[in-house]
Amino acid sequence: MTQRDPWKAATVALLLLAFIGLPLLGLTEYWIYTLTIGFYYALLAASWSLLVGYVGRISFAQAAMSGLGGYVSALSIVYFNLPVVGGLALGVLLAGIIGFALGLLTLRLHGAYLGLTTIAFAEILRITITAEHGVTQGSRGLRTAALIPGGTRLDYYYLFLAVTAFCLVLMWLLIRSRIGLFFQSIREDEDGAASLGVNVTLWKAFAFACSSAFAGLAGGLYAHFVQLIAPSMMSLQEMGFILAMAVIGGFHNVLYAALGGVLLQTLLEALREFGQWRLVIFALVAILMLRFAPNGLFGTLAAAMAKGRKRHG
Amino acid sequence: MSLLAISEQAINGLIVSAIYALTALGLAIIFGVLRIVNFAHGEFYMLGGYAYYVAVTTLGVPPVLGVATAGCALMVLGGLVEWLLIRPVHQGKVDRPDEYAIMVTFALSILLLNLANSVFGPWPQRPQPLFRGRVEIGELVISGDRLAAAGMAVLLITVVLLALRFTWAGKAVRAVSQNRQAAEIYGISVARVGLIAFGVGAALAGLAGALIGPVFNVTPPMGVVPAIKAYIIVVLGGLGSIPGAIIGALILGQVESFATILIPDPSRALAYKDAYGLLVLVLILLVRPQGLFGTRERRA
Repeated sequence: MTQRDPWKAATVALLLLAFIGLPLLGLTEYWIYTLTIGFYYALLAASWSLLVGYVGRISFAQAAMSGLGGYVSALSIVYFNLPVVGGLALGVLLAGIIGFALGLLTLRLHGAYLGLTTIAFAEILRITITAEHGVTQGSRGLRTAALIPGGTRLDYYYLFLAVTAFCLVLMWLLIRSRIGLFFQSIREDEDGAASLGVNVTLWKAFAFACSSAFAGLAGGLYAHFVQLIAPSMMSLQEMGFILAMAVIGGFHNVLYAALGGVLLQTLLEALREFGQWRLVIFALVAILMLRFAPNGLFGTLAAAMAKGRKRHG
Repeated sequence: MSLLAISEQAINGLIVSAIYALTALGLAIIFGVLRIVNFAHGEFYMLGGYAYYVAVTTLGVPPVLGVATAGCALMVLGGLVEWLLIRPVHQGKVDRPDEYAIMVTFALSILLLNLANSVFGPWPQRPQPLFRGRVEIGELVISGDRLAAAGMAVLLITVVLLALRFTWAGKAVRAVSQNRQAAEIYGISVARVGLIAFGVGAALAGLAGALIGPVFNVTPPMGVVPAIKAYIIVVLGGLGSIPGAIIGALILGQVESFATILIPDPSRALAYKDAYGLLVLVLILLVRPQGLFGTRERRA
């Protein structure tokens, strides 16, 4: 990663300005709502790519962690009368702690074994929340308080945009720090990293914790925006959707994964008339990307643009 | 608990085990040869159910031939998937082959699930069963369709085990499972064995789906739970171990069957039924990642 690339900085600034300016261009309430949900998925996809793309740890529990954050927040408001922000914070904290524990438990597992364990963890969590309907209302879904009482669609749009942008900056700072180098050394050669003195145990668990905490925040925001959460947001189908977003955007870069999230959520609404076929197409595109363009849509695009500049400059 | 209730639970466990074992056997063969976990296995199972439905209900094929049709259709599909998506892993055509294999099969499962949803609709279908009526042993009553499905599953498992032991292809599959390089040196085409293994593995999942489809219902998400069961079973028995897969299935069938009657509240007991196996999976992976019969692997 080149550190002082004026083109890259300009592109990111332009993107941010575009998202800030979009609602001013006469976007309907419906599309503002759609983009807000898009930011939720952007945060989830980015948090997943932080773990899978940078540390090389596969997890299928991202949707479950998002649900965990949402449920902890919603339930703590019902049972402990916490303010919404307090509930959100508790959700993030708990998702982070459970993520850390999951990271510690799965230290010795790799690849498919790790994938299976995270699926098992996600499903146990989903089954428990569905089964304990006395506490969580089960599959009927739990109604919860609004994040911004009396807030308009536009308020939520800017809040979600700001939080997503802030989290992406946090992730970027993390990746650029020494810790980010530890992450990538674990991905490239775990034993080699350990022999050079990297505390592999700590950083593997820490990566799980960070990724889960961001997912928990996304889930909490979503719960208090839609004001209804159901166990279906923790399903493997939803996880597949997050995977498709990150892979299509480019899961080796948090920004590309986030853009994939916004893009797919927008397309999902724009192509509504195609019904379930949309998801078939997204999964197909994800498979083709994995096979032929592992850097994803935005990664491939960025590489092509850099090449073009080099040729003309 | 009365003796009758105990034997009823045990027989239900055995019937379920037979279907689980058939599904898990396919997963074990695929893992043994190709060293990948097929995360789309449940969707192969589901497609087997739909292939049977199309053959029997839409085209009017007799049920037994319908099962065979489903097996053949899934074998072709499995072969195609191996050729298009899995073979590049072993030819060094993808970077990070482990991650690629996991993510590509997971994406495939999402693709197939939504494809079935689009083509057949989300509502359940119920094709004609293999056998109607019921069987009575003393006071014990077993429904015939379940028994027929389990009987066919046991028959198919026996055929596969015999084929693995005595046919050339079966020996090749076992050889590649044990040592890829050595098998190649002895002149086995590892690529062709991979194709066969994935085709047979997919066919076994499809056959299991075709057998149980008429007993329960055929729906797009029907494969999710059995696939998770199959993962638990192969991890329990040791990934890639074929006797492990069968013994794992027997253990899981009984654990589920009896654990359900431990919680007094029936609705919650039913809801938690699928969680017991998952708990077993997590415990096994944490304590003995190589499973009961598996050999220890450094990285997989």
